[in-house]
Amino acid sequence: MTALTDVAAGATTTPETPAPPGRGSRKSLRERFPGLALPALIWYAVFMIGPVVAMIVIGFLSWPGMLVKPGFAGLKNFGRVFADENFWSAIGNSAIQIVVGLPVMMVLAFLLAFYVVQKPRGHKVLRYLLFIPALISAPATAMVFYAMLNPDGLLNGVLRPLGFDGTAWLADPSTALGAVIAVELWSGIGYSAVLIASRLDSVDAEIVQAARIDGAGDWRIAWGMYWPIARDFIGVVTMLQFLSMLFNSAQTVLLLTQGGPGTSTTTLSYLVYRKAFVETDLGYSQAVGVILFLLGLLGMGAIRRVLRATH
Amino acid sequence: MPRTALRPLRDRVGSITSGTLAWIYAALLIVPFYYFIVSSFKSNDEIFESPLALPGTWDFGNFATAISQADLILAVANSALTTVGALVLTLLLALPASFALARSTGRLGKIVESVFALGFLIPSFAALFPTFLLAAALGLFHSRTFVVFLLPATALPLSIVILTSFMRTIPRELEEAASMDGASTLQVLRQVYLPICVPGIATVLLLNFLSFWNAYLYPLILTGPDTAQRTIQVALPTLKVDAGTDYGVLMAGTLFTLLPVYLVYTILQKQMQRALVSGALKG
Repeated sequence: MTALTDVAAGATTTPETPAPPGRGSRKSLRERFPGLALPALIWYAVFMIGPVVAMIVIGFLSWPGMLVKPGFAGLKNFGRVFADENFWSAIGNSAIQIVVGLPVMMVLAFLLAFYVVQKPRGHKVLRYLLFIPALISAPATAMVFYAMLNPDGLLNGVLRPLGFDGTAWLADPSTALGAVIAVELWSGIGYSAVLIASRLDSVDAEIVQAARIDGAGDWRIAWGMYWPIARDFIGVVTMLQFLSMLFNSAQTVLLLTQGGPGTSTTTLSYLVYRKAFVETDLGYSQAVGVILFLLGLLGMGAIRRVLRATH
Repeated sequence: MPRTALRPLRDRVGSITSGTLAWIYAALLIVPFYYFIVSSFKSNDEIFESPLALPGTWDFGNFATAISQADLILAVANSALTTVGALVLTLLLALPASFALARSTGRLGKIVESVFALGFLIPSFAALFPTFLLAAALGLFHSRTFVVFLLPATALPLSIVILTSFMRTIPRELEEAASMDGASTLQVLRQVYLPICVPGIATVLLLNFLSFWNAYLYPLILTGPDTAQRTIQVALPTLKVDAGTDYGVLMAGTLFTLLPVYLVYTILQKQMQRALVSGALKG
């Protein structure tokens, strides 16, 4: 209790003062009104909540460029968005990214976590490696994959001797979106696995042992015991990765493909970026932002429904 | 592993698959690393001809080129300045707030707390453009300063949730004893709460260090084209050019940006893993 003695040393009363019974010293407003939280609250309101509110407002403005004075547009932006093919292909790309990418990520992460918590040989090395993607910035990850996926890069260098024709993975419309999703999987699986493993670690080893004696194998233990126990936690991790895919794919796309070729890798969040900063169609951009926000909420609700605790 | 052959085939297949999958993924993590580290010592020709071979000569020329071409030393300095500034600001805001929220007994405290907790749901990225307008309105556009102001706001929800839950574990009697002795609120925070919360503070610092150092899109938009202000993450992709990227130089630059994070991770490995896990747990 050095802290306490420090305080006592600086004060005039004796350090031996015993803790007084709680109720007597209730001091008032200070206890009920968290005044010291005010600076953080204001900061948060100005830099985070403010911009989100502004985003919603701008979604209803007609604002075709920074230097133009904005006017009120009502639902016109949304009408334009819904009539635009680019928007629908962005919806399609984001849907593929999430409907295909997310389940693959979570199932693989779960299996990986299950494997790691069994403490097989080399599990320490594995745990160390799984963290790598969590440490690396999006630009660094993207640059490494940009080098590997270029026509003369590692992937084609490995495939050609095996008799496959390589392709320009990021420039070929049929592979570009897959490549972007693969990069996201690469960085997401390990991190999710580490998180899920931290939950699986707390599963009672004795129950597992008992199940093994009763003849249950790994596959059954993984899906029959660990999965149901960790289900709601996996739900939390799934939400985390869902939001990160939906909202942050813009940076990976910007760094790797700029949405191309054509619109084959334009995701919703990249569309928000491109409309705002490349085409300066601000009303349109923020209208998509609002839609993205709503989709995020809907998706979170859906994930909660599917993966809530059942036991 | 000493298992009997009596187990159903499906189960043996299961354990073999999960092991195989695990090590395939491990290979997928290592191979890109190996590739980009050896590439950073090679020329384009060498990289294209034999991507997996060790470099003929260990030439640091690519590093020198990358550093001078993208002004990486200046960029590292900018990143360090931005990161440290934002970390300090985050603690200055989050510590008193968590302290107040952990002690507060009324409804208002609960409301404020849930406002911060809801912050996890805010897609701050979608609001990139209004943030950009805000920077312009404050006259801080195209400067690091605004990034230093903005990053703590993005980190507040998680930091406050973590620190508040930490401070809740501190018994009230401890604090009451201190205030009986005449300690002011701030003294109680500084001398009773802070020392006990060191692990929580370390968690918050490590977590935020990673996200601040690795931030890309915000700094890209907010610091704009000014090379004197840009961070390392913004500088790195400029090594990629539309026609004829020098991959050796690009990979050398990438390796250079990873060194500080890798250094911190190696030194603080245990704490960092714990921080990342507990950080996401709360989210």
